[in-house]
Amino acid sequence: MLLNVNELSLSLKRAGKYSKILDQISFQVEEGETVGIVGESGCGKSMTALSLMRLLPEKALLEGEVNFQGEKISGYSKRKLEKIRGNQVSMIFQDPLTSLNPLHTVGTQIEESLLLHTKMTKKERRKRVLQLLNDVGLPRAEDLIDEYPHQLSGGMRQRIMIAIAMACEPQLLICDEPTTALDVTVQAQILELMNKIKKETQMGIIMITHDMGVVAEVCDRVIVMYAGKIVEEGPVLEIFQNPKHPYTQGLLDSIPKLGQRKEKLGSIPGTVPAPENMVVGCRFADRCSHAMDICRTVHPPMIGIKENHQTACWLYEEGDEKDGSIGSHKLEAALH
Amino acid sequence: MRMDALKFVGKRLLLMIPILIGISILTFAISNTIPGDPARLILGPKATPEGLEALREDMGLNDPLYVQYGRYMGGIFQGDLGQSTYSQKPVSADLIRYSPATFELTLFAMVITVLIGIPLGIISASKKDKIADQITRIFALIGVAMPAFWLGLLLLLLFYLKLGVFPGSGRLDSGMSPPTYITGMYTVDALLTGNWPVFKAAVMHLVLPGITLAAITIGMITRMTRSSMLEVLKSDYIRTAHAKGAPENRVLYGHALRNGVMPVITLLGMAFGHALGGSVLVESVFSWPGLGRYAVNAITYLDFPAVMGVTLLIAILFILVNLIVDTLYFFIDPRLKHN
Ligand SMILES: Nc1ncnc2c1ncn2[C@@H]1O[C@H](COP(=O)(O)OP(=O)(O)OP(=O)(O)O)[C@@H](O)[C@H]1O
Ligand SMILES: [Mg+2]
Repeated sequence: MLLNVNELSLSLKRAGKYSKILDQISFQVEEGETVGIVGESGCGKSMTALSLMRLLPEKALLEGEVNFQGEKISGYSKRKLEKIRGNQVSMIFQDPLTSLNPLHTVGTQIEESLLLHTKMTKKERRKRVLQLLNDVGLPRAEDLIDEYPHQLSGGMRQRIMIAIAMACEPQLLICDEPTTALDVTVQAQILELMNKIKKETQMGIIMITHDMGVVAEVCDRVIVMYAGKIVEEGPVLEIFQNPKHPYTQGLLDSIPKLGQRKEKLGSIPGTVPAPENMVVGCRFADRCSHAMDICRTVHPPMIGIKENHQTACWLYEEGDEKDGSIGSHKLEAALH
Repeated sequence: MRMDALKFVGKRLLLMIPILIGISILTFAISNTIPGDPARLILGPKATPEGLEALREDMGLNDPLYVQYGRYMGGIFQGDLGQSTYSQKPVSADLIRYSPATFELTLFAMVITVLIGIPLGIISASKKDKIADQITRIFALIGVAMPAFWLGLLLLLLFYLKLGVFPGSGRLDSGMSPPTYITGMYTVDALLTGNWPVFKAAVMHLVLPGITLAAITIGMITRMTRSSMLEVLKSDYIRTAHAKGAPENRVLYGHALRNGVMPVITLLGMAFGHALGGSVLVESVFSWPGLGRYAVNAITYLDFPAVMGVTLLIAILFILVNLIVDTLYFFIDPRLKHN
């Protein structure tokens, strides 16, 4: 197992007091596997990603365990963690313009990872940078090396971010909404590149997104998050064909089907509750059309529906194979 | 790119002309609305009305203002800034004589501003809310809030009168003769001619007025550096640097510093102007024979040509320094280079 996250909880200071942003998150990532983390804005997807490498805002309280390749890295000192960051575990962020240093050339920024983690000579580093630019599909690498981020398009910048992340051939790549800030056509190109990289390496990938289409495109397994908790988890096909949690079903209903106008999309009424007013029971109960009394008083435990498919919802019992199937047209729709 | 920079500088130099004309009109108008009669001041209390009238006519004070202004501006283009009524010498000669002392003091103040203000701001930002930050912030606040003349008097009292470690007036020890004239700035000239005793004395004399003049600008620069660094440290590319595995110091000095110092450079241009203006007070406190003291004398003697001359010179310097600052951006910010 590549990554094993065990009961990870995170509290951040907001308006003078601590509130829980992540509540007992547990999940695994295998080598070569791409795991999607989906959920609406504010569900804690980014915080989950940042917690793994402890790239958190100041005054963050982190509990639980993160094991990477059998090592408990959650206990590592900062210095020890720096040796893993960018080397064995890389990250790609949402906005490629603000994520690149405006005063450093593209070449310098890609080279930095090599400088920090390898013993390559200057010449070897340059060769590797050129090769990386080539790998991420950027032409005229020789010129590009001396250019600055503001001279490039959004798609090119994101390719640069990917090149930076891939520089040291990491075992785990964490992508936080890598396509959200890009136009639709560029999104497709970046996803294609991700799929190519996925095929060529044995890297584990965590793909954070709020777009079920992206999940269908690149992921093997999905984790659905709601308000700082995991509510459902399973293989992509299973989740698309047989979603259990009403929240997952709601998310799937918001995928545009072929020929359907965007405004007609079903969307879940209401919004994600703020971390400071979390309820005791199921956090989704207020927005759920199936909510029962128990939902508001006791939080549902995670139960296994099938092998690999789990959900936290009082509508189901262990091994329950009741319907809820919405049909495979969802997956097809998402893939378009 | 070279061409771009040249074009940029040329444009800015052309822009200086209307600004300077505006400033000259303004000072001319103000100095002529101040009640007071230069002729009476020159001739003293025993002057006869006929004598006064004749002198006024002679000095052109009876002409309409725009005629006087036109005459003044006409003179400027021939390098003639008029005659100082107080020193009885051409204003241009006075300016040449007194400005090196002021440049030296102002430059010294700017050097300590940069050497102290920027590092303090960085420390303050990187140790946010810790004790080092608190202390720095208090000092920066005091520096900004304390009136310069008061600080000057305090420093004089403590370091000159009480401890006697620094001299309290003038540019050199009494009896010491200035170094060979090259730039007129004693420290520079002494350094160039290898005159160590004079160099040491000149630096010692600079310390107290320099600190007094720099107190405000150090405070300004420290606060600006701190807030700018804090802003930068929150940005996404700093998170990227951490995600790459860069250690704390590399993130701070390799990634944050250059970005964080950018807005500080603009403020340095402003601070320079502030220090030039502040020299008027500080030079009076420390009997520093520069433009500031010359200007104060000129004002008390209603010596309008001298006041005009000093004002215009300071305005030109201020604009030039800001032009240099803007040109500097052209070379350090790649985003400007390619637009
Ligand atoms: N620096 C911070 N300090 C305090 N709270 C924060 C901070 N950053 C985020 N939060 C809170 O943490 C919660 C989770 O935020 P997070 O950014 O992980 O959401 P997300 O699922 O990534 O959403 P998005 O799709 O908008 O990126 C939100 O309620 C947010 O308000
Ligand atoms: Mg996010």
